[in-house]
Amino acid sequence: MENPEAPKGRPTYRSHLIPRTRDGWIATVTFLVVFALAMPPFTHTVWDRLYPTILGMPFFYSVLLFLYLALIGVLIWAYRRGV
Amino acid sequence: MQPWVIATSVIFVYLVLSLWLGLVANRRMTINLEDFLLYGRKAGFILLYLTVVATYHSAFAFLGSGGFFYANGIGFWAAGTWTVLVGAITYVIGTRVWALGKAFGYITPADMLADFYESEAVRVSVAVVSVLFTILYIQAQAQGLGYIITVASGGHISYPVGTLILLVVAVSYLMAGGLRAVYWTDALQGVWMYLAVWIGALFLAYKLFGGPLALWHAVETKAPALLSVPGPKGLFTPGMWIGMTVTLSFGVVFQPQMMIRWYTAVDAKTMKLLGATTPIYLMTLYIPTALIGLGGAIVLPHLAVPDQIFPDLLTRYAPAWLAGIILAGATAAAMSTLDSILHANMTVLTRDVYQRYIRPGRSDAHYVWVGRAIVFVLLGAAYGLSMYSSPFLVTLVTLSGSGALQLMPAILGVCFPGKRVLSRAGVVAGLAASMVTLYETLVVHPMLLGIHGGIWGLFVNFAVAVVVSKFTEQPSADTVRRVHGELERFVYGTEE
Repeated sequence: MENPEAPKGRPTYRSHLIPRTRDGWIATVTFLVVFALAMPPFTHTVWDRLYPTILGMPFFYSVLLFLYLALIGVLIWAYRRGV
Repeated sequence: MQPWVIATSVIFVYLVLSLWLGLVANRRMTINLEDFLLYGRKAGFILLYLTVVATYHSAFAFLGSGGFFYANGIGFWAAGTWTVLVGAITYVIGTRVWALGKAFGYITPADMLADFYESEAVRVSVAVVSVLFTILYIQAQAQGLGYIITVASGGHISYPVGTLILLVVAVSYLMAGGLRAVYWTDALQGVWMYLAVWIGALFLAYKLFGGPLALWHAVETKAPALLSVPGPKGLFTPGMWIGMTVTLSFGVVFQPQMMIRWYTAVDAKTMKLLGATTPIYLMTLYIPTALIGLGGAIVLPHLAVPDQIFPDLLTRYAPAWLAGIILAGATAAAMSTLDSILHANMTVLTRDVYQRYIRPGRSDAHYVWVGRAIVFVLLGAAYGLSMYSSPFLVTLVTLSGSGALQLMPAILGVCFPGKRVLSRAGVVAGLAASMVTLYETLVVHPMLLGIHGGIWGLFVNFAVAVVVSKFTEQPSADTVRRVHGELERFVYGTEE
């Protein structure tokens, strides 16, 4: 869709960086939020501990494993919804 | 039979299988440049999946990641962030690159960028960056191969001879069958390396600790420092975590061997499914390597070379046949990356240099033979590099992910239509400024202000590209309409 505010002489388009559908928004925001939780400062403060262990594995390792699986889940959800 | 004979024999069986696949691929091949370089753009999901993951994971993932966990602790679990990001990048950017490649017949990354920015300077800059920074991976993989065969043979096959044998095998099937041979062998290698690392890790965990959970408990009680960040050596600071996440995701997928794979997908659905599911393989490969590295730190502390932890544990505690199968997996990890990089460099040099500037307008058969000759030259370069090891080269290898990362502004400019468009001068100036910045922040002042050099380079790159683009000529309206219009139709199904 052409951008009505585009400079004359050159076609420009509505930004492709902003989602245009509800599913697109859900996938993008969820992925970014979960991804942020797997990055500093969370990794070096909140998650940086041994206990409580989860299923016998250290807390830090388990939480990140859960976050990584959640991110994969978001990608697969986006694929199934045709985002 | 002596253990080293058994272990080495298993590796040679694997090599014979790879050569056989190369020969079969040769019989299926047609003398057609798109078939030789791009598998005729008809790679289905399973084949594409296995070649992408096998290419992404190299000797570094198989041997080096265990060494990282061993020396620096749980911080290397950051690997999950960059492997998941690889999937997201493939999903969002890879599908767009695929669509443009299919619509306009692109073969290399430089094809796409030179077309959009209407500039041969962009083509040459991108080709130089692509080859310069990835050829250094060849040295790392070749050295890994020589090391593996030397360990498996108990020193009976020397490092120079072992390296040469494995390089000749990889080059032989590549020259015979082009990308088809690389894809088929990658499929074998992708399966083999994944099973090998899981089986090896679980075998060692049960044999040495009684199981993975007992292993975790042993690390908690005997070496708790390994289970905290930034780790015993203080490596995994927040800046390093973020830097590695960005350079080993964007920086790897923007290398030509990965982007060329995107062009080969049979359809858009395959590309999206690839993006959604590659992190499953990529991330879960680091689960067993964590067990190997952290468990190894308890069983064999004070190793001089941490990367040796997996082979050392295998040769000490596993039966020879199992060690052979697993070390063949390590060979597969290195070869699947090596052949892909050789192929990518051959493609860039044949397409962006020879076909464009030296002998344009020749037949496809001519270019296929030139490609084979280039591979032969690359074999010599790879062997020479593998015999030469210096701190400078090691530094250059660490540069490679950061180097390809600098293609990001140019690629985003093509793949994401918007109000502003970068100019050819902006792209070239940004790339040049980022190279200088990389040298300063990776070699001269590493981790300046706690920030990884790749991030510094990217920041300067974006800033210079945007500012220069404001004052220089942008791509023509026709080109922007053609390329961005195609993306608008592909992504949203709408016309401009």
